[in-house]
Amino acid sequence: MSGLSDGAAARLTLSRDNLLPRIALAVALSLACAAALIALSGHNPLTAFAAMAAGALGSAHQLGVALNKTTPYLLAGSGVALCFRAGIINIGAEGQIAIGGLGAAATALLWPVEAALPAILLALAGGALAGAAWAALATAIHLFRQVHEVLVTLLLNFVAILLVQQALAGSLGEFGAGFLQSPLMPHPVWLPRAIPGLDAHPGFIVGAVLAAGLSWLLWRTRFGFSLRVAGASRPAAAYAGFSVGRITWGVMLLAGALAGLAGGIEVLGVQRRLIEGFSLGFGFKAVTVALLGALEPLAVIPAALFVGLLEAGSLSMQRQVGVPSSLVAVIEGLTMLFVLAATVRRRAG
Amino acid sequence: MDFLAAAIRIATPLLLAALGGILSERAGVFAVGLEGMMLAGAFSAAIATWASENFGAGIAAAMAGGALVGVMVAVVTVRFRADNMVTGLAANILVAGLTSFLLRAAGQGGRPPAIHLVPLAPWPIPLLSDIPLLGKLLFVHPPLTYLAIVGCVALTLLLGRTQLGLTLRATGENPEAVFASGGNPKRVRVLAVIACGAVAGLGGAVLSLQQVGTFTDGMTGGRGYLALASLIVGRWTPSGAAAACLVFGAADAFGLRLQTFGLPTSSYVLQMAPYVIALIVLASLGRATRLPAAIGQPLD
Amino acid sequence: MRGEAANPQMTTLLQMRGIVRCFGAVRANDGIDLDVASGRIVGLLGENGSGKSTLMKLLFGMLAPDAGTITFKGRELSGHRPAEAMAAGLAMIHQHFMLIEAMTVAENVMLGWPQAGHWLQRKTIAAQVRDASARFGLDLDPQARVADLPLGRRQRIEILKAILRGADLLILDEPTSNLAPAEVAGLLAILRRLKAEGRGIVFITHKLPEVLDVCDEVVVLRAGKVAGRAATAGVSRATLAEMMVGRDTTAPHTPDARPPGAPRLVVRNLRGPGLDVSFDLHAGEILGVAGVDGNGQLELADTLAGLRRAEGSVRLDGAEIGRATVAARVRAGLAYLPADRARTSLVRSMTIAENLSLRDADGFLLHPAAQAADARDRMAAYDIRAPGPQTITARLSGGNQQKIVVARELGRAPSVVIAHQAAWGLDPGATRFVLDRVIALRNAGAAVLYISSELEEVLAIGDRIAVLSGGRFAGVVARAEADLGRIGLWMAGQAA
Repeated sequence: MSGLSDGAAARLTLSRDNLLPRIALAVALSLACAAALIALSGHNPLTAFAAMAAGALGSAHQLGVALNKTTPYLLAGSGVALCFRAGIINIGAEGQIAIGGLGAAATALLWPVEAALPAILLALAGGALAGAAWAALATAIHLFRQVHEVLVTLLLNFVAILLVQQALAGSLGEFGAGFLQSPLMPHPVWLPRAIPGLDAHPGFIVGAVLAAGLSWLLWRTRFGFSLRVAGASRPAAAYAGFSVGRITWGVMLLAGALAGLAGGIEVLGVQRRLIEGFSLGFGFKAVTVALLGALEPLAVIPAALFVGLLEAGSLSMQRQVGVPSSLVAVIEGLTMLFVLAATVRRRAG
Repeated sequence: MDFLAAAIRIATPLLLAALGGILSERAGVFAVGLEGMMLAGAFSAAIATWASENFGAGIAAAMAGGALVGVMVAVVTVRFRADNMVTGLAANILVAGLTSFLLRAAGQGGRPPAIHLVPLAPWPIPLLSDIPLLGKLLFVHPPLTYLAIVGCVALTLLLGRTQLGLTLRATGENPEAVFASGGNPKRVRVLAVIACGAVAGLGGAVLSLQQVGTFTDGMTGGRGYLALASLIVGRWTPSGAAAACLVFGAADAFGLRLQTFGLPTSSYVLQMAPYVIALIVLASLGRATRLPAAIGQPLD
Repeated sequence: MRGEAANPQMTTLLQMRGIVRCFGAVRANDGIDLDVASGRIVGLLGENGSGKSTLMKLLFGMLAPDAGTITFKGRELSGHRPAEAMAAGLAMIHQHFMLIEAMTVAENVMLGWPQAGHWLQRKTIAAQVRDASARFGLDLDPQARVADLPLGRRQRIEILKAILRGADLLILDEPTSNLAPAEVAGLLAILRRLKAEGRGIVFITHKLPEVLDVCDEVVVLRAGKVAGRAATAGVSRATLAEMMVGRDTTAPHTPDARPPGAPRLVVRNLRGPGLDVSFDLHAGEILGVAGVDGNGQLELADTLAGLRRAEGSVRLDGAEIGRATVAARVRAGLAYLPADRARTSLVRSMTIAENLSLRDADGFLLHPAAQAADARDRMAAYDIRAPGPQTITARLSGGNQQKIVVARELGRAPSVVIAHQAAWGLDPGATRFVLDRVIALRNAGAAVLYISSELEEVLAIGDRIAVLSGGRFAGVVARAEADLGRIGLWMAGQAA
């Protein structure tokens, strides 16, 4: 694509001044709009928000559910944040998560292992590898055929979701079930409860640890430095002796693996089987979370929590107050738009 | 013949969205928000028609709804210079949630209202529709389909034969040159994106008014992205996009046919076809992809 | 052929009085007066940064002046944009063409031209294009795609647009910079025909032969002011060259003459787009490369540093590095101070410490504490004024930013240094600093290639002086034998 390869392509860079206040303002604005919508539909915004909060934080069980919901956004979001930092707009998390779930389910069903820990590790590895492979496909097309990374990752999302459906309709599916799903995963591979009393699987902790790891990679290693330079200015990266191709492979594979892992955890920890459409919307929410976290993996943790809590609470809100849970998507979309308007400054080079 | 007619039917909403997308992309703004614009149009058309019992109002509402999404995208990308792609994504997420929310707000007790519209019936064109074979195929379609075909021709003429179209194309190629020639590239982009929204909104109206007769959450189901793929495959020209949409429509219709015959070929693989085709075309064009040269680049 | 005698019937087309325009602290235009009459070609001569382009952008409405008046055809022009300027009868032929490559000649002509109609009158316009093309010898086919045309032909499209829109005054900004000699002759012929029709022309250039060839009078700009005016009929090249270059302020410290050592950088047949050079760089020598910007300096510097590919051989201390990566060249002892500080040599959104270690290739882990301590040492050694090593580079002054680059590149005791516009835009103190460091390295035995568009600077610092013109070395001479007039001629495009 003529706009990309000559160094004059604009990269996603964040305007550094007053980043936190700007993001806070964006969130506040979107919540205010949501409140207006609630009022418009004839309900009291304060009661609605209170119900949401209670629904997310009200009990240990609720909190566990919220943490589980947060996990895929956290994992995929930190990977996406890394890509955006390097100036690579990877919006393929949607497909990478789906393929990851497929990989984990297939591994668990085709290579069952008796002992719990090895079984889980094997299945999750299968998921991560599958996600990374899907990202590798996108990267190869992008680098070798000069197709814009956004187009390639976007299109591959749809192919991935259909692939999963195909697998479920075929060899991996449960015959006779009403809709597309795999058989129940073997028991050893079910993710255990992380903390007794809290109905959350270890995914959140894993995600937080990995996010911290990514942050360390970003700030404490030469590779992380190189990808930050590439994201700030491609000419400077070339001048510094960094290979943009290598950087692209690195961040895409990492992001793909993380997204695949997210898919695997969702399948093994929440549904305990691979269900058609289990990951719909996750990938795009990961982008929201990455932006909210200002592309800093550690900040993606609270950002993912924010979205996870919103979603966990929204069902309660719908049940108790009658405000449709789709309001959450409204908040997410608005937040993204406001954050984009407030913080993203495209800079040439 | 039925098969081809089905292909045209499926292709219609795609074509309208693609036409809108061409307006936006030729002016230099990536049209990733097509999905949201279509969905907004589908929603507005259904609600307006249901409330007013007037299809004309529905069509006008569809254009308005889509245009509104266009305004949002235009402001954030042109005025605030944010990334086109991510903004489009954000708009899609927002519209999905908003339409779902408003649908329930319009009904009783948080439930969607029961919208059962009689889908727009085909309008046979007198005389022409009596031509054997061809008549049934081409001249017995619902009004929005004719609109799509007319729109395709109109856009080709606009782009190639008018000063407006020339300025639009030039903005996507070299905005500085437009400025030096006395034009206003920012204004061109904003108007192009809003127009894109309006036309894509019409594509959504096809779904709710002409095909299904109601609105359901997320009923566009990725058609906006498919329209984006088709305009790329069609090389950013209306006739190319029309051909691509027809191919995608045919693939879909073919899949449906196979299912009725109970053949083991899965429809999922066929549903993949449009996206895979788009990828293959993009990959084979590679560096030679003739995108508008200044697409996605922010204006000072 | 010198300019023709003035047409007795000419009227004043343009009057610019007291034009002032500042960019921050820089006075790009400092009280300039300019007159252009119909049927006259006025040359606007000056080096890079003398204020020529700014003046014309002000005239055409792309920028607004801070002070001064512009009167065109008796009416005052102020607060105008290009659209109004064009409507008034002004036309600008830009140095970097404002054309749509994917479109045809006719379409480019029709863009933004109300007379082409809302519904484009393709046939009429095509006829007009052919007509004007024949009349002025433009040789343009309305259906040709701009992307398929050579640069010389593309420029004529802009001229054609000006003619068709009935422009009374044409401004040509460095029109011959992208043309081959044969195309230049063609352009000058076209200009003479336009002049014969009574149009006025402002011809912005730095090339002396052309000024004397086609202009009736010439106005020389230097550092934002008018350094001299003359009718071309009676003036000599040497006079003009001196007006352009001038006898400027305090010359920077000149290094003592030393016999050069062995060749450290040997370049043979380095060929690429816009570049074709062979030369040797010796230990303990500074080769100053003068020349007007845009004559291959960037290509030369980037290619030697490894940022661009080219054929040919580059040997550093005997080892062939012509195919080596950027990182490998750094390891081999090659330092590079690029001209583009905004995007290439520095990442302005990062800290001083990070920029200082930008090209350190080794190690997997970063060592922030060691890096910070090292940064503090270097900030002290190179007098980089900032609160601390974690300061964001964008907050520093231009001079201090360049000191970071100098500290980084020269601080690792390189064997060969390529400096491109190393002191450009710096205040005298920072300039002195940079030049002193370069000289110190040279005294220690390094080989330095010092490229600059400031002729005075090159003359002062270079042991040998070379002039780049059109991607080639027009001449190389030892400083002792350097003659301002001859160098001016080399810069203007006449080989030794």
